[in-house]
Amino acid sequence: MTAPPIEKPIESQTNGNHAVTETKKYYRSFEHLENEDAVIAIIKREFPDVDADKLSPVSRRRFVQLLGASAALASATGCRWETEHIVDTNERAENRTPGVPQYFSSAMELAGVALPLQLTTFDGRPVKVEGNPRFAATGGATTAWAQASLLSFYDPERSKKVKHRANGGVEELDFAKFVTATGPTWTALRANQGAGLRVLSEASSSDALIAAKNRLLKTYPKALWHEFESISDDESREGTKLAFGGAYRPNYQLAAADVVLCLDCDLLGDHPNSVANARSFAKRRNPDAAMNRLYVVEASFSTTGAAADHRLPLRASLMGAFLNGLEEALGIPGAAGASAMTGANKVGFFIKALADDLKGAKGRCLIAIGARQPAAVQARVHRLNELLENVGKTVSYVKEQLPDRASHVEEIRALTSAMEKGQVDTLVILGGNPVYTAPSDLNFSAALAKVKQKVHLGLYDDETAQLCDWHLPAAHYLESWNDSRTWDGTHVLAQPTILPLYQGTSAVELIATLAGHEVTTGYDLVRSAFDTRYGNDELNWRRCLRDGIVPNSAWPIETPRVKGDLPPMPPAGDVGDDLDNGKLEIDFVACSKVYDGRFANNGWLQEAPDFMTRMTWDNVALIAPATADRLKVTTEQMVTLRVGDRSLDCAVYVMPGQAQSSVTIWLGYGRTAAGSVGGSVATGVAPVGFDSYKLRSTNGMWFTTGLSVQPKSETYQLSMVQEHHMIDTVGMEGREERIEMLIHEADLRQYKTNPESIHGAEHGPPLISLFDRPEKYETGHKWGLSVDLSTCTGCNACVIACQAENNVPVVGKERVWRSREMHWLRIDRYFSGDVNDPSVSSQPIMCQQCENAPCEEVCPVGATMHSKEGLNDMVYNRCVGTRYCSNNCPYKVRRFNFFNYQLKMKDSENEILKMMFNPEVTVRARGVMEKCTYCVHRIKAVTQKAKNQNRAVVDGEIVTACEQACPSQSIVFGDLNDATSRVTKRHADKRTYAMLEFLNVLPRTQYMARISNKNPALVAAAPAHAGGH
Amino acid sequence: MVLGNRDFASVTDVVCAPVEAPKPPAIWYAVFGVSLTLLLMLFGLIGHLIWTGVGVWGNNVPVAWAWPIVNFVFWVGIGHAGTLISAILFLFRQHWRTGINRFAEAMTIFAVICAGLFPGIHIGRVWVAYWLFPIPNQMQMWPQFRSPLLWDVFAVSTYFTVSLLFWYLGLIPDLATLRDRAKTKTRQLIYGIFAMGWRGSARQWHRYERGYLLLAAFSTPLVLSVHSVVSFDFAVSQVPGWHTTIFPPYFVAGAIFSGFAMVVTLSIPARALYGLKDLITVRHLETMNKVILATGMMVGYAYSIEFFIAWYGGNPVERFAFVNRAFGPYAWAYWTMALCNVLSPQIFWFKKARRSIPVMFIVAIFVNIGMWFERFVIVITSLSRDYLPSSWAYFTPTWVDVCMFIGSFGLFFTLFLLFLRFLPAVAIAEVKNVLPQAHPKHHH
Repeated sequence: MTAPPIEKPIESQTNGNHAVTETKKYYRSFEHLENEDAVIAIIKREFPDVDADKLSPVSRRRFVQLLGASAALASATGCRWETEHIVDTNERAENRTPGVPQYFSSAMELAGVALPLQLTTFDGRPVKVEGNPRFAATGGATTAWAQASLLSFYDPERSKKVKHRANGGVEELDFAKFVTATGPTWTALRANQGAGLRVLSEASSSDALIAAKNRLLKTYPKALWHEFESISDDESREGTKLAFGGAYRPNYQLAAADVVLCLDCDLLGDHPNSVANARSFAKRRNPDAAMNRLYVVEASFSTTGAAADHRLPLRASLMGAFLNGLEEALGIPGAAGASAMTGANKVGFFIKALADDLKGAKGRCLIAIGARQPAAVQARVHRLNELLENVGKTVSYVKEQLPDRASHVEEIRALTSAMEKGQVDTLVILGGNPVYTAPSDLNFSAALAKVKQKVHLGLYDDETAQLCDWHLPAAHYLESWNDSRTWDGTHVLAQPTILPLYQGTSAVELIATLAGHEVTTGYDLVRSAFDTRYGNDELNWRRCLRDGIVPNSAWPIETPRVKGDLPPMPPAGDVGDDLDNGKLEIDFVACSKVYDGRFANNGWLQEAPDFMTRMTWDNVALIAPATADRLKVTTEQMVTLRVGDRSLDCAVYVMPGQAQSSVTIWLGYGRTAAGSVGGSVATGVAPVGFDSYKLRSTNGMWFTTGLSVQPKSETYQLSMVQEHHMIDTVGMEGREERIEMLIHEADLRQYKTNPESIHGAEHGPPLISLFDRPEKYETGHKWGLSVDLSTCTGCNACVIACQAENNVPVVGKERVWRSREMHWLRIDRYFSGDVNDPSVSSQPIMCQQCENAPCEEVCPVGATMHSKEGLNDMVYNRCVGTRYCSNNCPYKVRRFNFFNYQLKMKDSENEILKMMFNPEVTVRARGVMEKCTYCVHRIKAVTQKAKNQNRAVVDGEIVTACEQACPSQSIVFGDLNDATSRVTKRHADKRTYAMLEFLNVLPRTQYMARISNKNPALVAAAPAHAGGH
Repeated sequence: MVLGNRDFASVTDVVCAPVEAPKPPAIWYAVFGVSLTLLLMLFGLIGHLIWTGVGVWGNNVPVAWAWPIVNFVFWVGIGHAGTLISAILFLFRQHWRTGINRFAEAMTIFAVICAGLFPGIHIGRVWVAYWLFPIPNQMQMWPQFRSPLLWDVFAVSTYFTVSLLFWYLGLIPDLATLRDRAKTKTRQLIYGIFAMGWRGSARQWHRYERGYLLLAAFSTPLVLSVHSVVSFDFAVSQVPGWHTTIFPPYFVAGAIFSGFAMVVTLSIPARALYGLKDLITVRHLETMNKVILATGMMVGYAYSIEFFIAWYGGNPVERFAFVNRAFGPYAWAYWTMALCNVLSPQIFWFKKARRSIPVMFIVAIFVNIGMWFERFVIVITSLSRDYLPSSWAYFTPTWVDVCMFIGSFGLFFTLFLLFLRFLPAVAIAEVKNVLPQAHPKHHH
């Protein structure tokens, strides 16, 4: 038995007031008292039972080993976020109530364009991303990317340590060590004025970063700064340079346009300003007001194409020829003359009707051209908009922030060739993953190997990081200071909501450090850039920080004039539908989910079903049905795509509405060092999808011809959430017959003459019940939701918003294949008409909150019950999991926890994910059923507050997560017992219908029929469709 | 009804022989070994299921009920013949039943055990399965009595209880016989306990027969109710293809059909192995085949009337459900069912076929297969394509689904083989009743 020393330490002696001369005596036993010396000798020995001499000897080597191990273990306790800034409060801090959420304004920058945000934090943890409602253009709406950025923030696989790769080993250090270890490099560079120093940055519109960059270039005058984005709107910049002689950015006023033509332009989807575009577009989709008409010409179905009144599938390489034809039809002098596009065929009819429509709407029409088209085509569109008198009315221009930089392709080409020639000694890569995203013909990674010192700053230890000497963990936007610009140039501020989880550094901090600047903290850098621009005004700063936006800071609107003659269009080549295999077109498209691949490790996005294919967890080669027949390939078949000397094995998806002879493939898949979600060769996780960057080169960044498709014998399993498996003829006919029961649609003229026509499918016997309804919900609240199908674009923002709000788990590819996805809110998509040129109808489906709920009848344990406010509540605790409710739900909105989807959070390295959960929503256990609740926690938060304040709930005060995220304001929630509420008005609208009304389940969610505004000329002229509606 | 000119003693001898033999035949050991292995596999898989979650099966949304429920209905259906033979035929004074009733009743009990297993482990949280029962508790929870699933719990448990009592009551005189013939103390003791002091006095016989008659009267409506209630699980819901009023009679007919097929399947090897050919005669088998033919045609009628109503009712969703059944992705299952259940029994129109052991064995096996597929078609094809085409999905079973179904046969045959070993497979006392000697006017 070891014993502590008996004698009390003489601490009282240090107490200067009364020195104690005598030690007070304590004893432990009689032996102690009597035989003091002997006992004390034992007690004093630290290990009384151990004779030190008899211990087995420890070698010096072993001792040092143990010493090392204990040091390593001791440092392991440091694997946690820093705590020194947290101050214990013995009284509650002002304005702080535990459990009450706080909101901060911030912004997320994607490829240099900011989306203003409002972040919800609970007890210091960000748990939800919403749009900043103070920013009028987006009005608080968001994108799926912004919604899902929360998961990336908490990703346990984000890099946590500075990594130094040298001599085949990896050393983990911290940022300070990096600064000291590379100190000599920077001193040497300073001495030779930075010769051989290059910086490769992602696009950024941050004042602070531009200031830091200028400082860096001042310190190292011979250094060069390159900017590269693999998904770049540079062709658009170059187009304005051709047209106007300067770099401009077009900004569209969709609300002012009666006729909109989108040429290969996904205004409502991958456009950087899509949220604002969708919002203003939706304002013109009300059939009871002045409705606009949207024409879309594109190779592959985009969100915008699906929303179009008229869509023409056309290969991207034919856009120039189409434009020629359109100019001719518009009678523009100097048009390129005869064109194959204006004959008496489908395209010809389309062009003729379109031209008449545009001519009739001068100054009220708009032609938008996508950034995928070459500059020469872009310039022609600018001229056309000018000739149609649209400039200043439906399209306005702002000057580009950095008008003089070269295009991104030129920048990366210049950098790679310098690296190749050995002119680069030190390369600093600020974010981005060029090893993965750079055009494949540049062979970036081989050139990178020739650089002596490579420093990479990034969120992940990715493909690029692994080829660099130093990898520095970057701070996520939710944990760092930044400023940036929205599409129209409005200056927005981003603030951290939490200290960096993993010691990340932001780009601006790194550059300031490397520049040897005395100020290196993010706050000071952003603040000083702000002060430089707006003056040192503390109140103004605080106000802007609170609002997230600097008022009236948008760039001034300019009206440049098209100068002189424009260069000729690129040659169109063969305009026929059936190109030979080997001359096909390949189209690269930014993925609506993982973007350029940067979100590859984000499970929410990977599992978000693509709007058109309804596919999760993969990319594919999209091929038109007619072309697929010709090539003898089918969905899920593997093929080899070959362009020049580059090839890729890839799976096929036969896509209705794809332009014939073109093959579209999304970028961003086939990552080999993304992580355990997106694929990681190091840990044996197969890459998700196929790396289409391998086919992409500088002379065909967006599309190119000369593609051959070789069918292979293997097949590849795709996980679709709709048509989980290939559908047979019986199913197809049944679906065709069913669609009009589910989605009510009409053309505007038909609707105007007979508004009842949208209810055509609802004839049937009167809905009578054997039983009286026990509750009629005539008093109190009666919640309802309305979805306007006319404005829904299927952008997925609501799907991810719901997932984030309600702690909905990700289940993985295999389980999606088994139809076990968990999304509480899904967007159903149906095609109708000719498979080669179908029209698309989309329908967001969440729990319909039936008043006469079939799920409730059949639950044997009463786990799903009706609330007094008419909500169909789910009692997770009581659910035993018979799944009978799911069978009986005609809308199939119920989701079952087939496994414990939270199991991986038991691992200590994944524990951080628990911080992400919305504390207001129960995390569901294995074996229980779950479904949409109308965000009942949000309802309760507001009704309780209103009750405490003794007032009524105001319409619009309760916003469901899907409604809040929706860019086109298609979803409206409210109280049906409030006669003035928006939802009451919408439910009373003649367009509103209840889906599957004949079941008499009385759903509270109702839909507004989708009204399209077809051009009468085209409806008459169009060749007969097979089927249609 | 009894061949071989048996007297009372020889009936007793022949029935008791397998139970009293020192060792069962080698084939018994072989089959028992296989069954027990399958049973252990079933237990292992149940452990795997409870440990991991019901996701180990192929169930999904929309097919939230799949093989386990198919198996449940399949086994419940099989569990119909026993009580039908014992109770209804008893009430109708069909004396030919005596040869097969014990056997069929045992089959019923074991089939219902197999059936009861599946819904129990089918739920997501097995550990709270008792919430399905109205047990007063401190949580103030009470079942929701509008749910057909709850009716099902009561229907099946009542049926099981009554069937078990009925079977046991019928066993008492025979248990006493075994007790009296016992050569060892242990046997005497155990059979003695279960014989409950049966002495065969006139008073006891009187009470026994009165009790038996009462239980028969009590079980008769249950035979009809249990499968009607099982069918309510489907008929009361609003899934197209489930929501039909024909289900209760159709399910009962199907259950009797499958039950008799199973009795035929089991009795053919059993009577051969245990030398019971004189007691379970070809006449018995032929009569059962007639029942199979009749119920098979009822089932066939139900199949066709469902289609007629789907068309006549004018509900496009329902019409699609049936077209999809016959011509959609599960057409193979539908036509397997139709061939096995409707076509194959037609051979019993011929007396030769009805009395041919190989023919009837093959037909019975077909009917067993067909009736499993009938449940598969009803449960899975209906769910896989209901109202919203966006949610349609194809169901693919996992290895766990398959092995658990096979394992349930392990459970069934283990119990059945134990029954054959330890209890009289034919009701001795009742068979004696139908012997000519039992009748006063009998003359040698």
